[in-house]
Amino acid sequence: MNDKLQIKKLYALSSENRKFSFSMPLKNKIRIGKRDYIVQIKADEKLGTYILWKNRKYPVEIVRSRQNKYEILFNDISYTFTVETPFSLQRMKVLSSKRGKAEKEIVRAPMPGKIIDVLVREGSDVLRGEPVVILEAMKMQNEIQSPVNGKIIHVSAKAGTNVMKDDVLVEIKVI
Amino acid sequence: MKINKILIANRGEIAIRIMKTARLMKISTVAVRTAAEPNAMYISYADEVFDNCEDISDIPVFLDIEKLISIALKTGVNAVHPGYGFLAENAYFAQKCIDNNIIYIGPSPDAIYKMGNKTIARKLAMKSRIPMAMGSEGNISNEEEAITIAEKIGYPVIIKAASGGGGRGMRIVRKSEEMEKMFVIASKEADKAFNDPSVFIEKYIENPKHIEFQILGDTKGNVIHLGERECSIQRKHQKLLEEAPSCALDSRLRTAMGKMAVQIAKAVNYHSAGTVEFLLDSDKKFYFMEMNTRIQVEHPVTEVITGIDLIEQQIRIANGEELKFRQEDIKLKGWAIECRINAEDVQAGFAPDPGRIENLSMPSDPCVRVDTGIQAGSAIVANYDSMIAKLIVSGKDRKDAIKNCKMALDKVWIKGTKTTLPFFRMLIRHHKFLDGTFTTAFIEKDLEKYYFYSEYEEMLAAWLATKLFVEENLQEDSINVDFSNGKEISPWLLNKRMNQF
Repeated sequence: MNDKLQIKKLYALSSENRKFSFSMPLKNKIRIGKRDYIVQIKADEKLGTYILWKNRKYPVEIVRSRQNKYEILFNDISYTFTVETPFSLQRMKVLSSKRGKAEKEIVRAPMPGKIIDVLVREGSDVLRGEPVVILEAMKMQNEIQSPVNGKIIHVSAKAGTNVMKDDVLVEIKVI
Repeated sequence: MKINKILIANRGEIAIRIMKTARLMKISTVAVRTAAEPNAMYISYADEVFDNCEDISDIPVFLDIEKLISIALKTGVNAVHPGYGFLAENAYFAQKCIDNNIIYIGPSPDAIYKMGNKTIARKLAMKSRIPMAMGSEGNISNEEEAITIAEKIGYPVIIKAASGGGGRGMRIVRKSEEMEKMFVIASKEADKAFNDPSVFIEKYIENPKHIEFQILGDTKGNVIHLGERECSIQRKHQKLLEEAPSCALDSRLRTAMGKMAVQIAKAVNYHSAGTVEFLLDSDKKFYFMEMNTRIQVEHPVTEVITGIDLIEQQIRIANGEELKFRQEDIKLKGWAIECRINAEDVQAGFAPDPGRIENLSMPSDPCVRVDTGIQAGSAIVANYDSMIAKLIVSGKDRKDAIKNCKMALDKVWIKGTKTTLPFFRMLIRHHKFLDGTFTTAFIEKDLEKYYFYSEYEEMLAAWLATKLFVEENLQEDSINVDFSNGKEISPWLLNKRMNQF
């Protein structure tokens, strides 16, 4: 990578569009106000992997990573970031302003269970957080929610049928 | 006949909880090993294990009355403890134990039946002059009758299943136009869930507090209460956090409600431990809701503030012993809070998150009690509930207990599944929780966000994502090792490990 030396900064963009910038080369330090605090990634038998920061240990796991997208579980909360260089960030801005997003979002069963009810039809509009399917598992009826605003383009879930983990329930065109 | 050997007709933390007390009382115990979780922690607490792994029946053994009775007879126990859930409130099971000369550690089949049927329980409560929400006298047979009664008591009303519980088969109706439809839905739902389509109607109390009283009764007719538990923090009728006592009650109200709780228990000649549930409205008027004829999940908070071991009392009462304390001997001391740490994803609307617990570490402190059936390596299986542990924290008063709870929550370490911990970390900081004004509608109505993280946590997570990106794409750095205090590892390694799964 020839442009390696030119990268002065990296940006981690959260799924809620918050931007965190870090100077390169990346240091094991984070600056709060005027002080630097050391960050360490550690692991031991008892606790597994953790981050040590300001004398406190935080459990951490990398749930998924694909290309520049990372899902991280930090102190029991999951965060999704895409890491961008100044160039890719610029390119992203240009692209998104040109044609907007036309992605497809696939909603899958988070656990094995039985479909109790399907609340949407092909063509329905859904809002982020709106329940699309009721899945019964572990004695509980769970609302499976749409992760995005969009239009339902395909419904695979059928009421009364059993599904395995990761089976496709509905497909949503992101608007 | 004195109890000398108990079959635990349950699993998980409650099985362990019962076995701990049995051991102190020098009573031996039998646990049932199942194919769903053959290596569960509760197995190792029993003096004897009945292996039921070969059983290929569709119903779990803990719901299989014939099977449990046959296990009890085979293992030569003279008592059965049902725990909570499963067959804990099944009159037929209790009767079957008695018919086979096995002591049922719990109330009489008659009391279980009467309290289990909501219309019978209502009639009993009415006869004992217990305050209740206005409602139908018995079951409602059709839509017209439903409309007439609802007009009389005034909307909103709630339709409830006579044999129901746990929030199923309930429908709130706000206007008469909705009644016909809701009546049919509720009745159908009740039939499906409880094999009984009968429903009744009650005035719906808006935004109440859920307050319940712990009862102890012996077979000689003595009944006392051990104070209340505040259980308003619930989501879809599933309790998440309970505390004892409740800051909504003063001693006068406590005495009045306690007296009513004892009265309803006496109406069914109740013996063993039981719980009388009330709704408390914003004018501090209270209404009888139902009685649970078993030990409750949240019983530890009462144990903490009274110093009484409720399982021990259940066993003694089942032995025919008389209660050793009277109402005036019961003193509530300090404050206790229980957080139910479940394998649930609070970021996905509390969806269960089954999986294997990789690491587990609980705070050890005099003010912390942990009741759990899970250890590192245990699996949270989809067959059963999603509970990992109950974190029970005490303090000298509510403020102190909350402070201790906040500290304890930061010391709980669970890796492998997502948990309700971030919810409790938020709750314990919420002004409505702190000032005690929350109601059962709190989670649905007052919360915008179900979880808490400190402002730096997201930044640290962002730093980690960036670190991963750098090591994967810009081939930086080697691995640093710090042997003195945990091994420092490269996130790149961590990532590779993850991919192997």
